[in-house]
Amino acid sequence: MDKVLLKIENLHAGIAGKEILKGIDLTINEGEVHALMGPNGAGKSTLSAVLTGRPDFVVTEGSVTFRGKDLLAMSPEERAWEGLFLSFQYPIEIPGVSISNFMKSAINAKRKAAGLKDIAPGDYLRLLKEKMAMVKMKGEFAKRDVNVGFSGGEKKRNEIFQMAMLEPVLSILDETDSGLDVDALKIVSDGVEALRSPQTGFIVITHYPSLLESMKPDVVHVLKGGRIVCNGGMEVAEKVQSSGFESF
Amino acid sequence: MALKIYIVGKDTIPSKVSLGAGEEMDIVFVALPGEDRSVAMDVELDAPGASAQIRGLYIATGSQKVDLTFNVRHNSGGCHSRQLVKGIASGSARASFYGKIYVAQDAQKTKAYQENHNILASEKARIDTKPQLEIYADDVECSHGATIGRLNQDEQFYMRSRGIPEAEARRLQMISFLAPVAGLLPQDLAEKVYESLSQCED
Repeated sequence: MDKVLLKIENLHAGIAGKEILKGIDLTINEGEVHALMGPNGAGKSTLSAVLTGRPDFVVTEGSVTFRGKDLLAMSPEERAWEGLFLSFQYPIEIPGVSISNFMKSAINAKRKAAGLKDIAPGDYLRLLKEKMAMVKMKGEFAKRDVNVGFSGGEKKRNEIFQMAMLEPVLSILDETDSGLDVDALKIVSDGVEALRSPQTGFIVITHYPSLLESMKPDVVHVLKGGRIVCNGGMEVAEKVQSSGFESF
Repeated sequence: MALKIYIVGKDTIPSKVSLGAGEEMDIVFVALPGEDRSVAMDVELDAPGASAQIRGLYIATGSQKVDLTFNVRHNSGGCHSRQLVKGIASGSARASFYGKIYVAQDAQKTKAYQENHNILASEKARIDTKPQLEIYADDVECSHGATIGRLNQDEQFYMRSRGIPEAEARRLQMISFLAPVAGLLPQDLAEKVYESLSQCED
């Protein structure tokens, strides 16, 4: 039997007293890539916010289990240590903090939580180089301040680089609005291809079917009005392509 | 002219400076946690080509008080002044910034800029900022900006989502905020500044 990574049951959640998710059920097994499509306001970003523990979002009903543990009881950092990763649609700039130092802090925090010592400088450098090569990043990149002055494509590459560095078990890629940027889409699909394995899972949030053509998801879901209204294969994405979300 | 660095409470910062034709001053001050700190400077720009640049940072913790007063007077035209002061008040600390730019009637072609940015890192800390412009000439380029804010929640969440614990995320945010000034310091002093951030309490 497939091993379950994430199990969402009857999830109701919202922000500022307004319910946005109205009973989500979703199971993701190891090795699977899921696509989540839906019109604006369907609740796609709310779902990724709730899964990663963004403050201000409130869960009113239901449960989420990640690798057998209660995900909703964990802080955002604990979720990351457990192997959850969110690629931000709009990554934040952190002037004065280099990508290299930022990732070192993240990796050492995870190691500390697991009772391990800080990563040795030589090992870190090797890891950095290996992952930079994986996402086709140039040598100077890691010395730059996090996202400061980055183009859209560079920000996207930096998110995928961080995903590669942290080796998450389940990655959520929020690509809601990046569908028109061909370069950014290629970076994302190449990144997913490089990190795809029988042990890892992905949730790709988009409303552009073009991203899914290169990524070939195992399951496609349509989210509408805070509920999943359709589950299927690529034929669902094709239906979205040809007739939009109205028909769901 | 070479950059001069002053550690408040240890080095004596000149309280009155008069700059003549072509004379330049470029200083950075650092006010660290500990005893109450105060800086008061009067800078007179008396002849064309004089220029003054004052940059600095403070980190106020516990019940510490930090008082910063800068009075920059453009008595002559064709002078340039620039101020950039960034600081963090935590615990029940109090910080105040008073910065005045005076431009005399004849001081045409003056360029004067002032920025003061502050972060309230706790509920009980207090910050007052009073930027003042007093301009009597009409052909000048002057600006000032003052902000008091809190640590940005979106930044914090971004870092925490990568596995950086909340306290460390706050520390990185403070480093990021102070970097434009701390980056001017020799590395050992910059590290001392960054280390002292661990004394900031909610």
